[in-house]
Formats: sequence, structure tokens, C-alpha cells
Amino acid sequence: MILEVQAKIPPSKHRYAEIIHRLEAGGSMLPDSPENLMQIIGIYKAYAVPMDFYWRDLLYIAEREFLNPLPFFKYFLPQEYLDLPNHYAGETADLRIWRGGATAHPELLEFMAKGETGKLPRILHHLWHDRINMEFAEACMRAMLWHRHMCAPFNKFDAYLDTPEYRSNCDRAIRAYFAKNPLMMGLYRAFPEMFMEQCRQASYYSNLGLFWEVMAPVFFEMSDIYDEGGFNGVPDAMNFLVNGIFAVAGRPIYHHVYIDGQCMEIIPKSKGFTWLYEAALPYVEAVFYRTAPFRGTKSYNAQAKQVPEHQADFHFGILYADVFPVGSAGIPPTLLMQDMLHFLPPYLEEFYQQRCRGEEDKLIQLGITFQRSMYNVTSAVIQALRAALFYPLDDPNPHHLQANRRFFETQMDRFLRPEARLMDIQTPEYR
Amino acid sequence: MADILTLAQGAGCFATLLTAVEVAGLTGALASPGPFTVFAPQDSAFAKLPPGTITTLVQNPPQLGRILTYHVVAGRWSQADLKAVPYVESLEGSRIWIDGSHGFEVNNATVVAADIEADNGIVHILDTVMLMGR
Repeated sequence: MILEVQAKIPPSKHRYAEIIHRLEAGGSMLPDSPENLMQIIGIYKAYAVPMDFYWRDLLYIAEREFLNPLPFFKYFLPQEYLDLPNHYAGETADLRIWRGGATAHPELLEFMAKGETGKLPRILHHLWHDRINMEFAEACMRAMLWHRHMCAPFNKFDAYLDTPEYRSNCDRAIRAYFAKNPLMMGLYRAFPEMFMEQCRQASYYSNLGLFWEVMAPVFFEMSDIYDEGGFNGVPDAMNFLVNGIFAVAGRPIYHHVYIDGQCMEIIPKSKGFTWLYEAALPYVEAVFYRTAPFRGTKSYNAQAKQVPEHQADFHFGILYADVFPVGSAGIPPTLLMQDMLHFLPPYLEEFYQQRCRGEEDKLIQLGITFQRSMYNVTSAVIQALRAALFYPLDDPNPHHLQANRRFFETQMDRFLRPEARLMDIQTPEYR
Repeated sequence: MADILTLAQGAGCFATLLTAVEVAGLTGALASPGPFTVFAPQDSAFAKLPPGTITTLVQNPPQLGRILTYHVVAGRWSQADLKAVPYVESLEGSRIWIDGSHGFEVNNATVVAADIEADNGIVHILDTVMLMGR
């Protein structure tokens, strides 16, 4: 529902005043139109299916592969992890967000069996890349690891990775994991820091897996609601996300490792780390805003300051991406586009066929739809933070409305740089 | 004078807070000598949170405990003491920002009743549950 804004404070003079006023009225950065709603929900559905694989495999790697020095089969998800019940879907859910089942999505299982090439041994699907591109999920995880300390002091997960307590938990796990491997134990004694850093990476595998375990059912449920005619516009879809963020904000973020059937807690649930502070906010910052220049997309000259000096100024995320040059083989965002391509709902498939170059540039078209949809997710994060840290949109106190205004303006300042796609997504012609 | 816990139990507007304190295993801490300053959200403050928020927190006591300890500060801080500083550090570790320029506000919460004295500290009643991050 869009609120009627009462003119209690003067209009914003920000370059993006129109968008700020829309946010103040309870809207999204993405304009409200039936076409935008159709595109973003369609792409959420196409994203949720591979995400159902990503979170399961991220947890599998964090919990079972752990420090395997030769992880050739880390993308070969065992049945146990395909059957792992999602905590937010199905009958046994802690909080049932999606009305569907808790185990791996049927469309995912169907694709894993046949891919594009047909029924072949799993190893051939893997080598031919006719599979879910886990490399994309790992790129997101690495962005979070590489941009560590970005959400200090609120992200306590990150600070914990440098504590003696964490090191001692890792030490116990490393000794147990390599108990029968004298070569690796020798290497551990020689280069302990390298092993600690690998543990931190494994902890971020777990972090992102637990984050996406929530997002997959959220997107599946949004798709079902849309199919039932339940969303009236883009703000409805955004508000569903805002409510979802609050509902699961307190979900524990932890890292457990299973060695010889025994669970070792590297980051126990009792540390009090939460989905919102230790996973969602760092994820949005690292993946939507910052990431890093992708190899092969464009040449950057660091000496000419084309790559920012400070990590905080990095701006290579989906909110800034030029989707066209990104669309090359092996580039993480392209891997995701390729994954989503397999699960497009028929209405979105038809939409792309009728526009631009139809089948030929479908990856680019869906990449831009994905960009639109992520501006909507970012809007939900901004609105959730406004609700959590500032004031209601209809607050009668003008000082409070002014504080909300300053918050929105600060958020919009991040899109003042020329690479931002905020203005592009305002028009339907950007495809 | 009663301790903070007994005071809250008698007030009649802290049913949710008291349940949360019990689930998080912090009942003993609130009855300990302290002294503490407690920013206590009343029942209507918890009711303002979107559906599911409390359910998830109650299922996870350490995470709930973290939100609750964000509402507690070591020492006895009266309204006058608080208005003299820009922020105080909560037991959770994050800052609570004080704004005395328009009434008495802490972060985005308004203090609806201040300076309620107890044996082991002082209580300020809030209309909103505070969350870390400001």
C-alpha cells in the first residue's frame, strides 16, 4: 500500500528527489508497474531454484568437505543434502515461509538429472558445465570474505573469526579432520595461518548457505502469491520482503563441521550471531554494492585509479553492473544468468521472446530484469533498516520525518556515481 | 525498594519483555546487584514488530539475549546523566544514541516514563524496541 504523503517537511533537493519521495511514500526504488512486477517475480522464481542448490551445497562444503585439499567432488551434492529439510518451508519448518516442500525443489531435481544435454552420467554433466554453476555462489562467498570488516562493529561474526576462541575451535577441528593424514598435519604445523584462513573461508560458506536457505523459500512463496494474483504492485512485493527480513532476523548464523559423524562447533549457535546482522547486511554490502572487478569483463588500470583505493568505494555489484560486457563465459554473474535461464516461468520466457533480439539476447534481458529485481530487494533492505532504526513513514513528528529523509538521502548518495543503474531502471526501455 | 525484575513484574505493561527475559535466561541477571540502567520496551513496543520477529527470536535464546542486552547499560544512568552524553555503550557492545533535543529519545525510541528507581538500577520505559545498527 502506498501511503499518502502529508507535506510536513519541504521537498528533498537531492538529485534523486523523486525516488526519495517514492520511498517516503512506502514505495520501492523500482517504479510500480505491472510489467516491473511481472519481471521481478518471474526472475525471483528463476533465481530460487538454483539458490535451492546453492544453499545446500554451500552447507555441504562448509560442514563435510571442510578443508579437503582436493575437493574435486564438492559440487556433487549427496542425497542427504538434497533431502535436508529447509527450516523455512514444509511441514517441519521453524517458521513456514513457503507453503511448498522442505526438500530440494522438483524443478531442480529434474534439471540435475537431465540438464540441457539429456540423461548422462553426473561427471559428464559436470565437465560439460551442464549443471548448476556453484562457482557463482562461491564468488559471492568470496566477496563476503574479501570485504571482511565492512559491517563492523555490528557484524560480530567477522570479528569472532580473529579471536583466540575461534582459533582454538578451528585447531581442534583441523586436528580431528587430518588425524589420519600426517602430510596435511605437517603442513598445518608449518603454515598454520593458511589453514586458519581456509577455516574462515569455510565459515563464510556456512554463513552464505544459511542466508540463502531463507531467501529460496521467500522467493518461491512470492512466486506462488503472484500466480494466485496476490500482489497488487511492486510495493506489495517489497513489503513482503521487508516482513520476511524482520521475521527471520534472529535466525542463528553458525558453522558446524561433521568429522567421522561427530559434530564440531567451530562457531556455535550460542554466540548469538543473527541472520540480519551477520549474514544479510554483509551480503547486501559485499554482493549488491561492492564485489570486485570480474576477470575478463573489462580491463581496469589500477595505477590510473580505475580500481578504487579503498575497499569501501568498490562498486562492481549488480546495482552498478553493465550487464552487456559481463555476459561472457565463466564470469560469475553470467553463470547465474545461465542458471536462471533454465527455470524461467513461461510468462517471462514469452516476454523475452517478444523483445529485443528474442532468443539471442535472452541472457542479457534476464540480467537486466535481475538488476531491476535486486533494486527492489535493496529497497526492501533500506525500508527494513528505516523501520528498525528510524521512524514510521506516517510519523506525526516532523523531526522524525527529517531523520528518515536524511537516511534515505544517504542511501541514495551511493547511486550518485555514474555507474549506478538507478536511473536506467526507471524506464521500461532499459532492457 | 524492589529490584528491577520485581518492579517490572508489578508494572503490568511488560508481559512480553518478562517472557523474553525468562526465555533468554536473563532473569537472574536482572535480579543481581547491578547496578544497571534498563531501557524497557513496553508490550505495545513489541506488538509493533512485524509478525514472526518474536517467534524466531524466542526459538533462539542466545540471539534473543543479544537484543535484550542491547537494552541494558552498566551503571545507574538517570535522564539528566544520559542527556549530558551523546551515547552510552550497551552490554551487547553497540552504542545507544541519546537525543534530548526534542523530549527524551534513545535511538528511534521515545522514553515514555523515565527515572524509575529500583534497588539494583534505574528503568526508562520505551515505546519502541531498539535494534543495533544506528
